[in-house]
Amino acid sequence: MRTHRTITTAFGRTGLYVVLIAGALLSIGPYLMTLNAAFKRPQDLLSTNAWTPAHPATFGNFADVWNQYGMSSFLAHTLFVTVVVTLGQVVFSAMGAYAFARLEFPGRDLLFWGYIATMMVPQMITLVPLFLMMRQLGLVDTFAGLILPTVFGTPYGIFLVRQHFRTIPKDLEAAARIDGAGTWTILVKIMLPLSKPILATLATITFINTWNNLIWPLIITNSDRTKVITVGISALQGQHVSDLPHIVLAGAALALLPLIAVFLMFQRHIVRSIALTGLK
Amino acid sequence: MESTRDSPVPPTPALTARPVVGPPPRRRLRQILEAYALLTPSLVGFVLFLVAPIIGVVVISFFDWNLMGSPRFVGLANYREMMGDSEVWRSVRNTLYYVALNIPAQTVLALLLALAMNRRLRGGKVIRVLFVLPWMAMPVALGIIWNWAFDPEHGAVNQFLSLLGISGPEWLSSTTWAMPVLASINVWQYTGYTMLFLLAGLQAIPESLYEAADIDGVTGFQRFFRITLPLLRPSMLFVLVTNVIGSFQMFDTVYVMTQGGPNGSTDTLNFHIYQQAFQLFRTGYASAIAMLLFALILLVTAAQFLYFRKRTVYDFS
Repeated sequence: MRTHRTITTAFGRTGLYVVLIAGALLSIGPYLMTLNAAFKRPQDLLSTNAWTPAHPATFGNFADVWNQYGMSSFLAHTLFVTVVVTLGQVVFSAMGAYAFARLEFPGRDLLFWGYIATMMVPQMITLVPLFLMMRQLGLVDTFAGLILPTVFGTPYGIFLVRQHFRTIPKDLEAAARIDGAGTWTILVKIMLPLSKPILATLATITFINTWNNLIWPLIITNSDRTKVITVGISALQGQHVSDLPHIVLAGAALALLPLIAVFLMFQRHIVRSIALTGLK
Repeated sequence: MESTRDSPVPPTPALTARPVVGPPPRRRLRQILEAYALLTPSLVGFVLFLVAPIIGVVVISFFDWNLMGSPRFVGLANYREMMGDSEVWRSVRNTLYYVALNIPAQTVLALLLALAMNRRLRGGKVIRVLFVLPWMAMPVALGIIWNWAFDPEHGAVNQFLSLLGISGPEWLSSTTWAMPVLASINVWQYTGYTMLFLLAGLQAIPESLYEAADIDGVTGFQRFFRITLPLLRPSMLFVLVTNVIGSFQMFDTVYVMTQGGPNGSTDTLNFHIYQQAFQLFRTGYASAIAMLLFALILLVTAAQFLYFRKRTVYDFS
């Protein structure tokens, strides 16, 4: 009886691993295939199976997309916009979140519910008025126009950090207040150091969302001067998918790599913090 | 839901050493000023770039405006036109079809995955990270990759099917298959991410409940349907509400893969609004359709809250 049960569990366990590993391969398969394809010579790309290793491998596709198709400037623009938005969101969300979590001021709860309520509003709704506003300000096709709408933070960011601040014991602040510390000192010296994982999570999520954002850059920019990578590679795809598929795929690989790097760097924090936000 | 720590009721002296009188008026004023100083940047963004546009879109929906001339007030004409516009209703049906294909598959798969991960397998952490990796992929870059993978002739999918002796369809140029392809891409991207939330929910279920069930001789199926699933409802609600709201707004994949085609079969609401506003420059009309999208999202979200409120089980703390 007992051995019988052990054998079934052993089988069950092996089966489970097989399924999980197959699923994991399916999850990363498209990445691996893209990378593999980006290293294939143009003539091999269409004549070999997608999973046949790139042999002989070439860096030529990357060099071409980087030099001839403007990828270097798209990447530079994207990096600039993404870093500014991420810094802004983390700093401003932390400041706002502290006010909501700990300070008492008239209208606090009403305002907080206002923030929460807007989390359900689809982004598309705001785009027409936002575009008109930016046009009025003369910010169409500028970096300011790309950055402004999201640099001050989002309701989601405030919510995420506020929920975390509320879990930090109040005694720590009370003790610091007695020692004469002001609000700013408490925020910078006590709250922020205790919130590194959640701030890293917010930074990573903002980085990813800004890096990947297509629709706002599509609307607000219209020249190579400000073109970001999402707009750049979707244009590349539109023009060259049939005649230069190797270039398009190399562009896609270049767009994905920085994200994978950022994600793997912070994945421990993210996996934990994402789960926590869902429990609240 | 929230702790009662910040409730306006004055705390009893037994619980806290703070005097009941609260801070002196001068310090109170200072705190209010400090709070608003800290909030200012976030409030500027909130009011200018979120609240004002939301009010703006409502106003614009009553105007006829091609972005060039001056706007002309037309009352409810945009809404009346929308009611009779078969393309709008097709995009509503397409959006609902997409949600119906994508959400159940994604949720069931994520739940199964979370149950497996909850068994604390060796190597589980690595597998978990691999499953979450698709979540952060750029939809535009992915669109390119999937376009290539679903290419009838040179794509990995049909190459693989031909190994099994099946000749695959022309996925993205088929009105039958294009939408299921888009839905499965979303399932691929978000199943691992959804699993993270459900896994956290599973780990919050007290072990003692299962021990008690063991003593009562409860079988595996009953354990799942009587304990696990009911106690997972708060996580389920969160996951469903956020994923459904997200799915209603699908845009990038359509933009880069099908542009709404073939024959309008993947023209979703969000894509339709984009086309009306920024390709045909019918801002007023697009704003009216955006209101329809918002109304649909509110309706579906409210329905989920009502459904779950009736059936939710109570926290144990």
